[in-house]
Amino acid sequence: MTPGKHSGALARAANAGAWRYRDFRGGEKGWWTTPQLVATMPVSPAGSHKQQNFRLNIATQPKKSISFFATMKATSVKGYTGANQSRMAVSKTVLIPPELKTAEKTNPSIKTMQVFDINGTDVTPRPLYHPDPLTGTAKPNKLLTSQEGSLGPEFISSHSLYQNTINPSMLGQFTRSVLGSSTVSKSSVSTSESIAEDLEEPSYKRERLTSFTDLQVIRAAPEKIVTKEDLEKNIEIILTETETLRFFDLPTVMVSVESEEAEKVTQRNKNYEVLCRNRLGNDLYVERMMQTFNGAPKNKDVQCDKIIMEDKGIMSTAWDLYDSYNAVEPLSLSVKPSVVESSSKTNVLPKDQDQRLPGSTTEKNSETSSLMDIENVILAKIHEDEEDHSDAILKSDKFHQDLFFMERVLMENIFQPKLAAYRQLPVLKEPEPEESEDFLESAKREEVEEESKKEEEEEIHAEESTIPANLERLWSFSCDLTKGLNVSSLAWNKTNPDLLAVGYGHFGFKEQKRGLACCWSIKNPMWPERIYQSPYGVTAVDFSIGAPNLLAVGYHNGTIAIYNVRSNSNVPVLDSSESPQKHLGPVWQLQWIEQDRGTTGDDKREILVSISADGRISKWVIRKGLDCYDLMRLKRTTATSNRKGGEKEKKDEALISRQAPGMCFSFHPKDTNIYLAGTEEGHIHKCSCSYNEQYLNTYRGHKGPVYKVTWNPFCHDVFLSCSADWGVIIWQQENVKPFLSFYPTTSVVYDVAWSPKSSYIFAAANENRVEIWDLHISTLDPLIVNTANPGIKFTTILFAKQTDCLLVGDSDGQVSVYELRNMPTALESGRGDIIDTLLGPKSNQPA
Amino acid sequence: MAEVEETLKRIQSHKGVIGTMVVNAEGIPIRTTLDNSTTVQYAGLLHHLTMKAKSTVRDIDPQNDLTFLRIRSKKHEIMVAPGNLAFHFLVKSSFYFAR
Repeated sequence: MTPGKHSGALARAANAGAWRYRDFRGGEKGWWTTPQLVATMPVSPAGSHKQQNFRLNIATQPKKSISFFATMKATSVKGYTGANQSRMAVSKTVLIPPELKTAEKTNPSIKTMQVFDINGTDVTPRPLYHPDPLTGTAKPNKLLTSQEGSLGPEFISSHSLYQNTINPSMLGQFTRSVLGSSTVSKSSVSTSESIAEDLEEPSYKRERLTSFTDLQVIRAAPEKIVTKEDLEKNIEIILTETETLRFFDLPTVMVSVESEEAEKVTQRNKNYEVLCRNRLGNDLYVERMMQTFNGAPKNKDVQCDKIIMEDKGIMSTAWDLYDSYNAVEPLSLSVKPSVVESSSKTNVLPKDQDQRLPGSTTEKNSETSSLMDIENVILAKIHEDEEDHSDAILKSDKFHQDLFFMERVLMENIFQPKLAAYRQLPVLKEPEPEESEDFLESAKREEVEEESKKEEEEEIHAEESTIPANLERLWSFSCDLTKGLNVSSLAWNKTNPDLLAVGYGHFGFKEQKRGLACCWSIKNPMWPERIYQSPYGVTAVDFSIGAPNLLAVGYHNGTIAIYNVRSNSNVPVLDSSESPQKHLGPVWQLQWIEQDRGTTGDDKREILVSISADGRISKWVIRKGLDCYDLMRLKRTTATSNRKGGEKEKKDEALISRQAPGMCFSFHPKDTNIYLAGTEEGHIHKCSCSYNEQYLNTYRGHKGPVYKVTWNPFCHDVFLSCSADWGVIIWQQENVKPFLSFYPTTSVVYDVAWSPKSSYIFAAANENRVEIWDLHISTLDPLIVNTANPGIKFTTILFAKQTDCLLVGDSDGQVSVYELRNMPTALESGRGDIIDTLLGPKSNQPA
Repeated sequence: MAEVEETLKRIQSHKGVIGTMVVNAEGIPIRTTLDNSTTVQYAGLLHHLTMKAKSTVRDIDPQNDLTFLRIRSKKHEIMVAPGNLAFHFLVKSSFYFAR
């Protein structure tokens, strides 16, 4: 309960003429909360306006000390007081009735109050606040008009200040301010500044400020000039206590049973209960309804766009995280497409296209602009999109690679038994459920061409040797392109044992057709991996040792070209066609040799050696182009020095050229300085790289062009040669005479080769037979004879290194792969001294 | 491009190959030699399987990747070459070349 009203008429009631200054410091707190107080206070500025009704029952309340203003800050009152310095000295008494009812509203009856000071001067404060009739807030007036009431009742003024805050929202501030004002007013004189500060805060305060400034202005006017005497005059200051102001009274609802009032209270309670009970049927209580005005409700709707929710799920997998981390690093094309793949499953086509763009190849990039254009369009165009896209897919390298794999796998499927036999793996039988384990064991992943494959060394030969040794044809490398061409040379890749280079070209001058050099892979017997076409027949091929991707091809017109098999292009990396020293005749053999060249500083330099029909053995070096140096010029051996029984003399004068066409050569496996060269004359010359004029030795035995000469890989004294005179001769290095010779048939022997596994075995290909000779078993007859189909000549022969297989090229463009089966097991000692074992059967000397 | 076409042709012309299919990354067939319903069926089914297989391989080791998938059944063998952009399926009857 708060005191609701004051009554006016204070000043007079106060000590006449004496203004009491009241010290309200240190009082009760809890004065506060009283908006009602404000509300009930009538305010009326004296000047223009309403008068307030101060009803102070001054005499009713004994004076008590009131100290509630302790926490007050400076407010308008202060300024007010500050303005009236003269007044400050005056104390005033304020008597406020103890009980001020809250709800009571005093009539804003206008009562003028007048304040007189000691001298009787009318010092009625004039209202500071002139309410603006437009604002319509009557109540704020109360604040300032209260001040006109009296300076004396600072209480009242503070009350009125307090009352001014009708607005509960402003209450807090106001109360504070009012409180402050009171304290300040009590405290010191010079508090006007602080008031001014506080007044800055709320806007209503500002109003007051202005009014206070007004006040100050106003007050300043009647200020008397303070003379020195006045200053020195003793002024009496009387401090008295005012009555206790009761601002809040909340009586207890509980009364002690023992108190005096207890009886009354209980009686009252009983009466109330009775009343309640009686209420029901009592006439005094009538139920009545009231209708209140319900405000017309107004529905207000707000419509907003539907919030589209989208669920998006992603499964976070280990590789997804890995990809995301890697994608942050410098962009790698391969990563991005995989990121795309692993991302969410939104199937928007344009988006996917955009995402795929970074991963596309250069060919596709030209299409990307078109893709972007067609992005958000009609069905017809989307179809076009797909087509573009599908083309792009088909063009992409990855697809190509995938196809490559597919083909390989297919080949594996088709050729599995053959390939398994080749690789000496267990052959997979017909697919039955029980065989699935076998399958798993032997199934291999197809790998890219450049990677090397490890061989598995499983023996499959469980059969007894009752079956004689034979050549079993596994498959043949052939395709439409090679049909009809003559296989002229075969060469394995030095690093990748599955890669085979085949040169196609006719031997004879008259039969010249276009030439072809192909790289075949064991993994795909149906189509070559690389095809290099040329107008001239290919007569020699060889893979490089140091750079296994280089393939040297020799042509029938004497040109030597070097291809890089990594690329598919038909253009050779190097070509000797412009070289001034190119060969003028067909290049019959090419070989890459690693030579120790201590003088040049390199450890081993690889050179390409070629022999051709123009009688030159040349060494080609790759520097800026192909540079050629002659190792040897094969001179025709004059008849005088080489006369041998049965040989025809060559006439000196009638020679068209002094060169003897070279057909073949073979470098010594150990000493790369020494090499053998076979000529068309039938001579085999042992030459050295150091001398390019003279032969070290000449082996005469053949009567026709020597087509092939090879050193024995194990026994370095022995070499083998074959020639068009139907013969195959084994020579010993020191002996210029043939060691062993074989004339199995009456057909030209095109090619011979030693077996890489045994020093006794060699193979010979003549026109219609492939013969495998095993010197250990017999020197008279070949071990295995394989006849060709009629019309086909076997032209080249090549052993496979790790396996028991033999490759035979024929004149129809086929390179057949044969497996040597049931070969007699090679003896360990067979690798060594073939000579010693053969020294015995020397009776096989040619007649 | 021509090479790709040629390779495709060669593959398709092998003995024992029933059909081939090229499918893009969303499972829409781009090129096929099988009939429409079969194509759609295969594409839809195999696509998911391939993705799963690929996911499996990569989960085990993120640096690894699936290069080939073969499904051998009683009647047929299906070979899938997954790629980033397209998948290549091949259906062939599972028998071997008789010697």
